[in-house]
Amino acid sequence: MAPRKTRLKAIKTAAPRKASKLAPAENPIPYLGFGILFGYFLSKSRATDYDSIEAMFLCREFQLYGVIIVSVAVVSLGLFLLRRSGNKAYSGQAVEMEPLTWDPSRLAGAFLFGAGWALAGTCPGTSLAQIGEGKLIAVATVVGIVAGVWAYKKFKPGIAPKNDAVC
Amino acid sequence: MLFLTHLFQFLFTQTWAWWAAGLGLGLTAVGLAWFTGKRLGVTGGFEDACSVMTKDSAFNPSPTNWKLWFILGLPLGGLLANLGHWSWTLLYGQLDAITFGNNFYKILWLLLSGFLIGFGARWAGGCTSGNTIMGVSIGSKMSLLATLAFLVAGVIVTNILFKVVF
Repeated sequence: MAPRKTRLKAIKTAAPRKASKLAPAENPIPYLGFGILFGYFLSKSRATDYDSIEAMFLCREFQLYGVIIVSVAVVSLGLFLLRRSGNKAYSGQAVEMEPLTWDPSRLAGAFLFGAGWALAGTCPGTSLAQIGEGKLIAVATVVGIVAGVWAYKKFKPGIAPKNDAVC
Repeated sequence: MLFLTHLFQFLFTQTWAWWAAGLGLGLTAVGLAWFTGKRLGVTGGFEDACSVMTKDSAFNPSPTNWKLWFILGLPLGGLLANLGHWSWTLLYGQLDAITFGNNFYKILWLLLSGFLIGFGARWAGGCTSGNTIMGVSIGSKMSLLATLAFLVAGVIVTNILFKVVF
């Protein structure tokens, strides 16, 4: 058997890894992977639990406020470090982080969302994670959300922003 | 062996302390930004879904529908987090009592609330992930205001529901 160094070199030079047919930006698998991680942590945080959401809004538990505060802190720090190191993503793209366009009428939408969040005890991301958890009643919430997003486009309120980008 | 049992339960059964789960969510969002250069958001995935299902050009899907791929991972994540004790159920916490244990009422309740969530999130320009976790971290004033409005509306509605109505 060849000495270790030579063997390592052979591995490195022999067969270059077969390039994926899709460019990094087009390959869906990393996005699916990040979705799995996000759903996993949402479930771990108890944000998928109806009673925890209600306990948050009734100010009986700090849990979900803590989750929001820590994630905002981590993301702020992470994006700061990313900017400091040139704002280049691993895939070669520039990191796109435009803030949401300013429009006070969005607050009306935000109030509707908050009411729905409290009534259903779930937000869009957690409703999907709930289905994976086995809380099959969440299928109704997901259908409602799709209908709501569709209806917004079809029957856009007159005061809604013209340039309505979404995250 | 005992250690492995504990690790298995930690990973696939238990829920986590707020700081641990928040750390995970934050690192996932940073990881997505670092690896792909994209801004995490769930509502955009629902917009993609509408675009794919209706083929209507009124919707603006994300390039290559990456947001739809992202939200398709969410159920898998929920499954993974509860692999140790997975079972399906139609129960849904205290909402069971509010809807008198009737599944038809519960489905109707969730459909209508879901409609409010979807319509409101699309109008507000994002939901709890896009506006609260990402938007506030970017320093977007609109996202911060939207987040405060989410919380104010949620607190008002929940208090009416649990302290006045039921």
